Amino acid sequence: MNLAVVLVIAAVLALSTILSVAVTRSLQTRESAGLAGNIRPIDVEAFRNLIDPAEDDYLRRRLPPGQFRVVRRKRLRAMAAYIQVASTNAAVLVRVGQAALAGGDPRVAEAARQLVNDALLCRRNASVALARIYLALAWPNSGFAAVRVVERYEQLSGAAMLLGRLQNPAVAVRLSALR
Amino acid sequence: MLQAHSFLWHYLWVAPNVLLLVLAVVIRLRNLHKQFPVFQIFAVIVAIEQLIVYAADVIPSVSGATFWRVFWVGLLVEALVKFALIGEIFGRVFGKYDSVAVLGKRVIRGVGIALVLAATIAAAYAPIDNPRYSVISYAHILDQTIFMIECGLLLFIFIFAAYFKLGWDNASFGIALGLGTSACVHLATWAVMANGGMMDKRYLLDFLNMATYHVCVLVWFYYFLIPQKSATTSAVPVPENSLEIWNQELERLLHQ
Repeated sequence: MNLAVVLVIAAVLALSTILSVAVTRSLQTRESAGLAGNIRPIDVEAFRNLIDPAEDDYLRRRLPPGQFRVVRRKRLRAMAAYIQVASTNAAVLVRVGQAALAGGDPRVAEAARQLVNDALLCRRNASVALARIYLALAWPNSGFAAVRVVERYEQLSGAAMLLGRLQNPAVAVRLSALR
Repeated sequence: MLQAHSFLWHYLWVAPNVLLLVLAVVIRLRNLHKQFPVFQIFAVIVAIEQLIVYAADVIPSVSGATFWRVFWVGLLVEALVKFALIGEIFGRVFGKYDSVAVLGKRVIRGVGIALVLAATIAAAYAPIDNPRYSVISYAHILDQTIFMIECGLLLFIFIFAAYFKLGWDNASFGIALGLGTSACVHLATWAVMANGGMMDKRYLLDFLNMATYHVCVLVWFYYFLIPQKSATTSAVPVPENSLEIWNQELERLLHQ
């Protein structure tokens, strides 16, 4: 009977999850207007500087090991914060792209499909990068490369710009902060 | 009222399956069978299979052993069609996007293998109530095994799509919602039955299963018959900034 109890609890949890996804989907359908307003600009250049391995090498050479680990952890936490914003933006862009997919214009639909694909890849890469950052927080001396996230984010910016331009040439899509 | 062979019992066994056959006809008439071929097959096969099992139960000349043989065959056919249907749902939600389709296939294969292992272990620990009627216990265990795998796969699809914020078309969502709800409730009830629980009140679990299935058929009707809300096709409202400046800035970044 213990096994039955475990399976019943698992089934109840699974059902709750499925129903909560259904409710969330229903709410999202109602709130689809003004999605792009949820995008938070990111200073890509600052992020690129943060993940530059040369910067880490420089700090490693200049600082005593203990202090280097403290600084490295701070940089990793900052990296994680940037990547979380990039991931959230990507999620918003998936929804923006999917809303645009229904449009009749084949150019807009193609741009939207490209945007969704890029946003999904960005979100996937961001998840992997975050996992690696949290691992690196435990071992600050290990090497870490988040370059793929930056590259993907830049592609995403391009795709969002193209879609924005096709849908409304008068307004702009901004994913990165300007200096 | 809540007894085997009561009016409600007959209604709950027959009505959802007749409705499912009607839904299969509606799908055909609306030309939706090209988009949902497996669901149409599922609707026809599962409805007919359930009506055959019902007939085997109510026809007096059918022996108990024959009934359970029919039940077994039906269960296996139903399981095959359901897993094909889960494949169709997966394809409709993720197939359009190359970036997650490959990852999704790899992960769902891993999840599937893990679920088969877990379900096998759970089946191995399930007791046989009465060795003389072991065919009944084995049927319960097989049900538990199938619903464990089905429930896990559908849960994975829901979580994976939610994580990536992927939208569903109405019908695919309705199919998955109905199938997922049915799988969760059936997993719970068959787990209780397969592990020897509620021996004297199992008819209540049967009623719960049948009522849930009826609700799920109505959910499928609802999602197939209501028109999909049209998505936003107007321009995406975006923060104020000119594309030209953004372009210059991006090019500067790319050429560094």
